[in-house]
Amino acid sequence: MGIRDRVARLVAELPTEPQFPTQGATVFVDLERREVQRGYTPLRVVRTLLAGRGANVFYLHRLLDESLDPLHPDVPLIFGSGVLTGIVPSAARGNATSWSPESGVIMDSNAGDYFPSFIRMNGVDHLVLYGRAGQWTLIHVKEGRLELLDGSPYAGLDNIDLRERIPQDFGGTWTRDLAMVNITRAGENLVLTSAIMAGPKACYARGGPGAKMGALKLKAIVVQGQTRDFETAQPYKGYNRTIAQKLLDTSVVKHALKSTGTPFLYKPSRLLGAMGTKNNQETTWTDRLDADHITPYRPGMAGCFRCPVNCRPLNALNADSADKYGRGDGPEYVTLGKFGPNLGIDRIESVIRLNNICNDLGLDTASTGSALAWAMELFQRGIIARTHTGGIDLAWGDAATVEQLLFMLARREGFGDVLADSTRAVERGHYPPEALKYRMAVKGLMQSDPHDARILKAFALGLAVATRGMDHLRNRVTLEINARINDDPAFKARLYGGPVSAAPTSYEDKERAVRVCEDVYGVGDAVGMCRFTTKLFNSPSLPGLDEFAAQIANVTGLEFSVDELSRVGLNITGVERLLNRRLGVTRAHDTLPDRWFDEPITVGAYKGERIDRAEFDAMLSRFYAISNLTEDGVPTPAWRAELESMLGA
Amino acid sequence: MVTVLLPSTLRTGASDRLEVQEPVATIAELIDVLDRRIPGFGEGLDDSVFNFAVNGEMLLYHARERALTSGDVVEIVPTISGG
Repeated sequence: MGIRDRVARLVAELPTEPQFPTQGATVFVDLERREVQRGYTPLRVVRTLLAGRGANVFYLHRLLDESLDPLHPDVPLIFGSGVLTGIVPSAARGNATSWSPESGVIMDSNAGDYFPSFIRMNGVDHLVLYGRAGQWTLIHVKEGRLELLDGSPYAGLDNIDLRERIPQDFGGTWTRDLAMVNITRAGENLVLTSAIMAGPKACYARGGPGAKMGALKLKAIVVQGQTRDFETAQPYKGYNRTIAQKLLDTSVVKHALKSTGTPFLYKPSRLLGAMGTKNNQETTWTDRLDADHITPYRPGMAGCFRCPVNCRPLNALNADSADKYGRGDGPEYVTLGKFGPNLGIDRIESVIRLNNICNDLGLDTASTGSALAWAMELFQRGIIARTHTGGIDLAWGDAATVEQLLFMLARREGFGDVLADSTRAVERGHYPPEALKYRMAVKGLMQSDPHDARILKAFALGLAVATRGMDHLRNRVTLEINARINDDPAFKARLYGGPVSAAPTSYEDKERAVRVCEDVYGVGDAVGMCRFTTKLFNSPSLPGLDEFAAQIANVTGLEFSVDELSRVGLNITGVERLLNRRLGVTRAHDTLPDRWFDEPITVGAYKGERIDRAEFDAMLSRFYAISNLTEDGVPTPAWRAELESMLGA
Repeated sequence: MVTVLLPSTLRTGASDRLEVQEPVATIAELIDVLDRRIPGFGEGLDDSVFNFAVNGEMLLYHARERALTSGDVVEIVPTISGG
């Protein structure tokens, strides 16, 4: 059954009116035929999966044809905002979901800034895009109306230039009444590490969403209109003030996020001896990339729609207005790690500049930095040589060459074409099979963060089981690194619903902590809350399921107990695991790079630490058991039947 | 003597360090001394965001029991691990 038949069948089932106050429509856009249809997410789906990431996977489950390939235009790209997006402080997020062209498993990436909120204010909760447009297309959304415009004048523009053109052509002011998601030349060139940009730096990054949008020949979605309050079921602003104050009172916000942003993490990771260095061959690096060294280049902080935290550092390297990459947004910790120690670069000015280039070129810095590091290690080991790289020496620490390679990657020129294929470089014949031994990826997705997880076993399990691949944002037990919590077993047990070993190097009960984090973060994505301001991600004091339940009730009138919300989180990963099974994922894919099993850490307090295969396998089985999964990592038959009944058809 | 390095958010003056001359056997005793010197300092440290690093090694558990000897450098490290 082709996509149009699947869409028609689905639309026929969907309600034609909102199911609760504030619910926006799901808009289906056939980019080839330039046709638009609408419906609303059914209540049974909202009660099981909420919105945002949750309802996105419902739509993907119903519309995916896994006999195709990820870039086929009949495989939809789905944007979805959370049920509280645009309404609650720090709930400014939305997800972009599809079948990843980079990894080959589920693609589900998340971004904030202003688009997810502004699209909701135009009455749209989800956008389902399919079909390949006849020419480059731009979708324009204003006052609830959606039109497909000629996007060819914008083809070839990267992020900085496009963001300069759009207000000139459409009017409006960024962050006030104008928002956009867009691809750059990298997306147009189907670069597998390309992102969908959602601002100067914010982006839907993981899994190659830029390539997916480029394959549909969709250049941008521009959203205009005045911000407005939603008509909610009950008053909600008083509780919003409570949430905002809770955010600002939390020490991690006060001491780190509001003043410095995520670069703050570099020093703790470095002191721990867990800094992924030179493609994770080493675990220590210079203190010259500590956040204090960024301070001279940070003129201020910025943030997402109605977020009181403003955790995004701005940067200014120089006062030369002609230097396109002399200023920008960021870097975040991931970029700092992936373009600093991961590539052997030790100058903060170089990392900031490379960050600014990646943001303009529209690249996921996690996958791009990892692809570069992988290539560098292969070059170091003689597995590839200058004959492969077109004469370019891939030397650790050579920032100028990295800069050159970024442009080549975005244009798929020379060796850049190899890098642009990311984790698929062996599959596509660029590298020999032995190169896979050094690829830091799980389920075909490069590691998201710079942290070496051989020390913290909960981190390791999380990276292995995350449904979109080797990514920390789906379930990281960040509080494993906090001694105050580890040294209070009763408090730690309350956090995770049961005992979890105090020692981060222990495997004992870590599955319990990963399970709880995965549930809470899944709900966070379904309500649209920022991960940095969600309970358990860096603080036990941030808003969590209690606050989400209270505000969901106020905003939508839908009542959820905390247990029911927790179940929603489990359901979301359950559906994602069903999708991944359709894409060929088995227990064997819930694993880690060989390096972490076979090579112990060589220096520091945790010298000798690695992941023991037998212990890991046992921990994985325990994780499956408490997650209502079979030994092969899919929902048990009874649960699967429940989910499939809810999903329909 | 034990030297304590302070993050910017805990500094009460211009200096980024305190020196503790009196003998302290553990991190817990060090905190008591600091609290007597700066009332409220101990309470401020009783927050999960703060870790301790001793001579460059960050302590992830059994932190307050960690033994100290003269010459040690203890750094108070605001710690987050997700970003």
